[in-house]
Amino acid sequence: MLRNQQWVLRVGFCGFGAVGKYERQVLALPKYSFKGGVHPLHDQHEGKTSTTKLPIRAYVPDSVDIPMSMSIGAPATPIVQVGDHVKMGQKIGEANGFVSLPVHASVSGEVTAIGTKVLLLGGPTTIVTIKNDFQDEWTELSPLGPVEEADPTKIVPAVQAAGICGMGGATFPAHVKLTVGEGKYCDTIILNGAECETHVTCDHRLMIEEPQRIVDGLRAVMRALDVKRGVIAVEDNKPDAIDSMKRAAAGREGVEVVTLRTKYPQGSEKQLISAVTGREVPSKKLPLDAHVIVLNVGTAKAIADAVIEGKPLIDRVTTVKGCVKDHANLRLRMGTIVADVIGECGGYTEEAGKIVMGGCMTGLCAPNDQVVVSKGSNGILVFNEEDAKGYEENPCIRCGRCVEACPIGLNPYRMKHFCDAGDLKGAEANDLMECILCGSCSYICPAKRWLTASFKSTKEAIMREARRAKK
Amino acid sequence: MNITAIILALAVMAVLGVLFGVVLTIADKKFAVEVDPRASAIRECLGGANCGACGYAGCDAFAQAVVDGEAPVNGCTPGGAKAAEAIAAIMGMSVDLSGERIAARVVCQGECGVAKDRYIYDGYASCATVAGIAGGPKMCRFACIGLGDCAKACAFGAIEIVNGIAKIDESKCTACGQCQKACPRGVIELKPVNETVIVSCRNTDSGREARAACMKACIACGRCTKECPSDAIHVEGGVAKIDPEKCTRCGACAKVCPCKCIVDFLA
Repeated sequence: MLRNQQWVLRVGFCGFGAVGKYERQVLALPKYSFKGGVHPLHDQHEGKTSTTKLPIRAYVPDSVDIPMSMSIGAPATPIVQVGDHVKMGQKIGEANGFVSLPVHASVSGEVTAIGTKVLLLGGPTTIVTIKNDFQDEWTELSPLGPVEEADPTKIVPAVQAAGICGMGGATFPAHVKLTVGEGKYCDTIILNGAECETHVTCDHRLMIEEPQRIVDGLRAVMRALDVKRGVIAVEDNKPDAIDSMKRAAAGREGVEVVTLRTKYPQGSEKQLISAVTGREVPSKKLPLDAHVIVLNVGTAKAIADAVIEGKPLIDRVTTVKGCVKDHANLRLRMGTIVADVIGECGGYTEEAGKIVMGGCMTGLCAPNDQVVVSKGSNGILVFNEEDAKGYEENPCIRCGRCVEACPIGLNPYRMKHFCDAGDLKGAEANDLMECILCGSCSYICPAKRWLTASFKSTKEAIMREARRAKK
Repeated sequence: MNITAIILALAVMAVLGVLFGVVLTIADKKFAVEVDPRASAIRECLGGANCGACGYAGCDAFAQAVVDGEAPVNGCTPGGAKAAEAIAAIMGMSVDLSGERIAARVVCQGECGVAKDRYIYDGYASCATVAGIAGGPKMCRFACIGLGDCAKACAFGAIEIVNGIAKIDESKCTACGQCQKACPRGVIELKPVNETVIVSCRNTDSGREARAACMKACIACGRCTKECPSDAIHVEGGVAKIDPEKCTRCGACAKVCPCKCIVDFLA
C-alpha cells in the first residue's frame, strides 16, 4: 500500500486545466433545462464511461481518521477518550448549535488518538483515529420503522441525530434545510439525481442499486413536511438509472421521475429548480423562497437508512478514477484515508500531480493523500503530472462566450476586470455575489482566463470586508 | 486690407477683454468659495500618496479634517515627523515628536527551500484565498504565503516578493500600515527601526513540529534566554520574544540561535 506519497502535489482551484483540453460546446435552450451552461468532456460521456457499469463495492480500512468537521457549520466536540472502545454508529462528537452535526464512529474498535490534521479547507481540523477491530458491531439503534408508518414529527429530529448533510458535495446540514421557517411553505421536494459533474458516478450507481431506499427517503421527507409532490430529476445520459427509479417510484404516492437534458451545471440547485418547476429562486434567497427543497439522491438514501433502521450516516459511495490501477465505485466509511482508498484500487499507476476530491468542475484539490473521505466526498480523481499542470492566462478577446455559458446570466468578462483591479464595490455592482462558482465560464474561455478562481477569491474578500465592517 | 480694419479689430478685442475681465473679477469676488488657507497649506506638507493610512478618504480630506479639528496633527504616517512639525506650525499647536521612526517588517524567513512546501499552488494569486486552502502552501501555518497581497496594497512600492517571501525596503516604507491590514497571516509588524535585533518567526507550535515545517522556525529551545546579558529575551507561548525596553541590541542571542530565527540587522 502506498502511503505518504513522496512527491509534492499541485493545488489550484479545480481541475479545469485537464478538462479544458477536450472539445468545448455550448448547447441551445432545451426542454427541462436552463439557459446557458456548458458540456464538459461531451465526446467522452463526461469522462464517466469507465465507472458507470461498475457495481458499488465496500471497502473497510484498518483504521479511520474521523474529522470533527465534515459539514458546513460549527465543528463537533469529541466526547470520547483515547483508549475507549467504540461501536459502529456510536456518537463520538457532539454538535455545537443548530447549524452543526454530530459525528459518529464509522467502524467498531479502539480510539487510538485524538489529534489534528490539515484537510481540504482552512487550518488543522480535530480528528479522532479509530483502529478497526473488524467486528462491525453496531451500537444500539432506535429506528422509526417503515417510512409510511413512521411518526412524521420525529423524522427531522432523526435526520439531525443521524448527522446527515447534503451529500452532493456542499455538505449543508439536512435538518436545517428541512426546517421550514415561519411564513414559508414548501410544495415540492426535488431529489437531485442529475450528477452533472464530470467523472463522478456515485449517484448514478446508487440510483441503479438502491432505488427503493432513495424513494423511501423522499417519502420520509414528504411525510415529515406534509408535501404532496416529490420529483426525482435525472439527466438523460443515465437511461438505466431513469428506468430503475421509475420502477421504484411506481405506485408511490406523489412521486414522479423527470428526465433532464444533459448539461452542466444541471445539478446546481437554482438551475434544477428552474428546469423542473419553471420557478426562479430570487436573488440572495434560498430555494425555500421558491417553495422547493432540493436534496441529493445520496442524502435521501441516508435519510431512509436513518428512519427505517435508525443508522447514522457513517459511509458513502465515492468514485475513484484517474491514474490508479482499478477505477471503482466504493462504499467508503467516513474518515477513510485517501491513500488507503488508492491502495485498495491497486495503487498509483504513475506519479500523481494532483488529487481532486470531487469532480473536475467543482472539486477541491487535496494537499496530499493523507486527507480523508468525509460526508461530501463524491469522487477522488488522481491526475498525472501532465494533466495537473496549470495554464497561462491570456488577455480577454471579448468573444462573449462566458456570457453565453453563464447559467445565472452574468457578465463574467466584466466581473473579472473588477476582480483583477481589486475593486470590490465594482465587482459587487456587477452582481459577483450571484455567481455560483460553477466554472462554466473558465471552462469555455478560449483565452483560458482564470475567471472562476478570481470570482471565488474576490467573493471571499467581499465577505471578509463585510465581516470586518460588522465588527 | 487697410490699417483701419486692423485697428478696429484690436480695439474690439481690447474692449471685450476689459469687459470680461471686469465681469470675471466681480464674479470671483461675489461667488468665492471660502477655503481655509491652512487646509491647502497642510495639503502641501503631506505625503501625497492618498494612501488612506490616516483613516480619511485621501490627503485633501485629511487636511480638511485637521483644520476642522477632527484629525490629529501627526495623523499622516507617511509624512512622518517632518509633516507633523510643519502641520503643527500651521495650526499653531505643539506636537510630541519623541517617537522613533517606525517601519513595517516581515517576521518570517520562510523562503523557498527554507520553509517546507505542503503543495505547489498554481491558481489565482491571492494570499488571503490561499490561506484558506488546506492550511496554505507552506507547511508552517504562520509563514508568509508570498503571493504578494502586501505588495499590491503598498502605495509606495516598498514591498517586493523575493524567493517566495515579502521583502520590505525600509527606506521607502512610510509605516502607513496598509500591508499589515492586507496580510492574512499577520506576519507584518510595525516596529521602530532602532530595534535592530528581532525574532523573525511567529511559529508557536512545539519545537519538533516547527522544525519539521521550516528550517528557520523558532523551536523555543531557550538558548537565547541563557545567552542574553540583560534578561531581555524570553520564550513565551512557544516562541522567543524580545523586550525592546531591556534589549541592548548586542546581538548575542542572534549568534547562538541554532535556527537563525533571530536576526541582527547590524551584524
